Amino acid sequence: MQKDSLWQAVLGEIELSVSRGNYVTYFKNTRLLKYDAATATIGVPNVFLRGTLERKYAGLIRETLLKNGIAPTSLEFTVSSAPKSNRDKEEEADEVVFIPSVSAAPQTAGAPAPNQASPNQGGMTGMPRPASGPMSAPGSGMGGLSHSYRQGINERYTFDNFIVGSGNELAFAACQSIAQQPGRKYNPLFLYGGVGIGKTHLIQAVGNAVLAQNPRARVLYVTTEQFVQEFVDALRFRKTADFAAHYRTADVLIVDDVQFIAGKEKMQEEFFHTFNALHQANCQIILSSDKPPKEIPTLEDRLRSRFAWGMSIDMQIPDFETRCAIVQTKAQTHNVVLNNEVVEYLANSVTTNIRELEGALNQLLAFCEMRGLEPSLSIVSSVISAAKTRPKHLSAKQIIERTARHFQVPIEDMLGPKRDKDIVVPRQIAMYMLRSELHLSFPKIARELGRKDHTTAIHSVEKIEKESKLDADLRSTLSEIKERLYA
Amino acid sequence: MKLQVTQENLNRALGSVARVANTRNTLPILANVLIKTSNNRLSLSATNLDIAITHYIGAKVSDEGSITVPARLMQDFINSLPDGVINLQLDDSKLKIKTDQYQSTVNGIAADDFPVMPAITTGESWTVSASTLKKGLQQVVFAASNDETRPVLTAVLLHTSGGELRMAATDSYRLAEKNIGKNNNDIHLLIPASAMHDLLRILGDGTDDVHITHDDQQVLFQVGDVELVTRLVDGKYPDYQKLIPTSFSTEATLKRADLVNVTKVSSLFARESAGSVTIELSEENQTLSIRSVASQLGENTAEATAKVSGEGSITLNSKYLLDALSVLSSDEVIFSFNGKLEATLLREADNKDYNHIIMPLKG
Repeated sequence: MQKDSLWQAVLGEIELSVSRGNYVTYFKNTRLLKYDAATATIGVPNVFLRGTLERKYAGLIRETLLKNGIAPTSLEFTVSSAPKSNRDKEEEADEVVFIPSVSAAPQTAGAPAPNQASPNQGGMTGMPRPASGPMSAPGSGMGGLSHSYRQGINERYTFDNFIVGSGNELAFAACQSIAQQPGRKYNPLFLYGGVGIGKTHLIQAVGNAVLAQNPRARVLYVTTEQFVQEFVDALRFRKTADFAAHYRTADVLIVDDVQFIAGKEKMQEEFFHTFNALHQANCQIILSSDKPPKEIPTLEDRLRSRFAWGMSIDMQIPDFETRCAIVQTKAQTHNVVLNNEVVEYLANSVTTNIRELEGALNQLLAFCEMRGLEPSLSIVSSVISAAKTRPKHLSAKQIIERTARHFQVPIEDMLGPKRDKDIVVPRQIAMYMLRSELHLSFPKIARELGRKDHTTAIHSVEKIEKESKLDADLRSTLSEIKERLYA
Repeated sequence: MKLQVTQENLNRALGSVARVANTRNTLPILANVLIKTSNNRLSLSATNLDIAITHYIGAKVSDEGSITVPARLMQDFINSLPDGVINLQLDDSKLKIKTDQYQSTVNGIAADDFPVMPAITTGESWTVSASTLKKGLQQVVFAASNDETRPVLTAVLLHTSGGELRMAATDSYRLAEKNIGKNNNDIHLLIPASAMHDLLRILGDGTDDVHITHDDQQVLFQVGDVELVTRLVDGKYPDYQKLIPTSFSTEATLKRADLVNVTKVSSLFARESAGSVTIELSEENQTLSIRSVASQLGENTAEATAKVSGEGSITLNSKYLLDALSVLSSDEVIFSFNGKLEATLLREADNKDYNHIIMPLKG
């Protein structure tokens, strides 16, 4: 691990001193294999790069190594494939299925199209489906062809490493039951929720679980952007039939970020047909979006109603306990045990987005690893607060304005004496936000909202705190306002 | 650098190297061709860091030197010049190209920035005749896969087995293997199929021997004045020989042209079904019949006479069948299989050097 981080530091410096093209071409996939006082051995992915590195960049590498505290007398370059391809190789050695075979009958019983395309060609070249496989090499039963349909599925995302909390347990349960019986229940499944709360993880986990049960299932995962791009290519090369056949023969179609389909009319039409073909054949469709179907603008009505046909689930921002669990689990995968103080600090400092939470954790771990320190509260507070994304320009006024706008009440009413219910709740929320986001004192909060008594502020903050634990609607309102504030 | 060279030679050299240079690379200099004088000869090189081609041509060198210039521009420009002598002169990083009628200046990049070409210092070396190699490549390379997710299948395997040099490629739906003669070395090379396409181009109609040198990371082909170096693919190639069936329940021998014709006709009706055609052999009638069905268009049955032993039918992709037939060179071909689900073997009637296997489609 240490030599990897040393090499990262070396590469970081080299990146600054050579041109981008040179860096990407020559250095990007190199590794430091080993070093001692006498020699440093550098792994190069390709024999063509070795000569150039040896003759042109040996001096630079030596200099940079020296700056990072090691001064080997000689440098050696050997061709070695990246660790990733090593793993591939092992897998291949085990399961090289030579002429792979697909025997599983397509579940799309009614669909006539036998056109099975390899993924990277996006369905442009029709590949026939070989019959069941007497030609597979001895001792290798499983079909290698499932690869073709493992499009876009990342094996890292599984149900096992998904952390279930109050905000996502419904989505989790629905996804699990889908994975057991794709196409039977909840079809289509529509997951929506903010950025970085695990939509992609969940829907990918369904894909992985389906593949684990039946390695030959044709599971297709695409982002909407990819889908659009492939469709445009298909139009350009006049291969729309292949495109349609490719998508319409999937057993499970997973489309991520489907909100991007908004405004693309022709695309919506194609998607509509794909959707219908799959839905009629009882194939599972899973969609994710950042908004519920009815809020996606310029979405055709027929798609909108279809999206909401099966089950729509709102994924919520995880609560504090879930965030703690997430931090702990992620730390474990890095083989680090964090004490509770640190975990809680992290979970408290990033509240809206799991991706950022992971980022903060990674930042902390990298910092500690590079300096050889144990993560502690003082370190985490210095690392994270330095990086904390609180924009400085956020003022009390902005929070009040944003809250007022969210509830569409005039800001004068918020600050004024009115005590109607539709004014009071936004006012209380604004107070809560002032407390939670800016950590203002209660008297200050009261003044900001034109109240005389600071106990009003105390009462409001406590009330919202309590209610938000019980009321999911309120929670989503709060997170929506927060998201807008930091957008 | 200052030299004179004939348009014909320069054009030929650019023709063989320029294709390797490409502009899509992150490193701009890889779109350039390296022009370099050495021992009163001129060498032109291009690389994409997977393969590198160098072509040596005769030239009258007055001053030594080297420069890289954009390959496409250079090739198009030289190609449109008339026959005759071309003067090349380097002025800083500008290459001046002059003939009787044309004068142009091309901005280059210093040769120092060009990647260092790999050199094979130690390694085994052997030769094979260009025409044999070419024939073999033509019959094999197209069967390699272009699916980068399984890198070994994008390679052509060149290996010795039982004292014979064999070449094989497969995309896991079909497999082509060619025996290209005796060889006593111990060879096992996985060469990217794309490099083999380039080699085919370079082989042209030459009849010389091809010198091959390899170590465990790269292989060098020397064809006359041209050198092609390619990296080797890392990985374990499947043990394909186990998969070539040796005995068959059903076998037909027939004229290649006949089989090509009936397959072509039948494939017209198979467009809708991914090229699927069903071939039936009848021992009683001594015929091979081929049938395809297009649910919208209609269907087709065609028949050819054949020497048949055994009965049976099999469904294949007509495209694969036509690909295979187009590289078989004998008048008569043997078509054999073992039941509906097992591999079909195609080979030439007069020799056993070439085996082509196609996996059946599910009927």
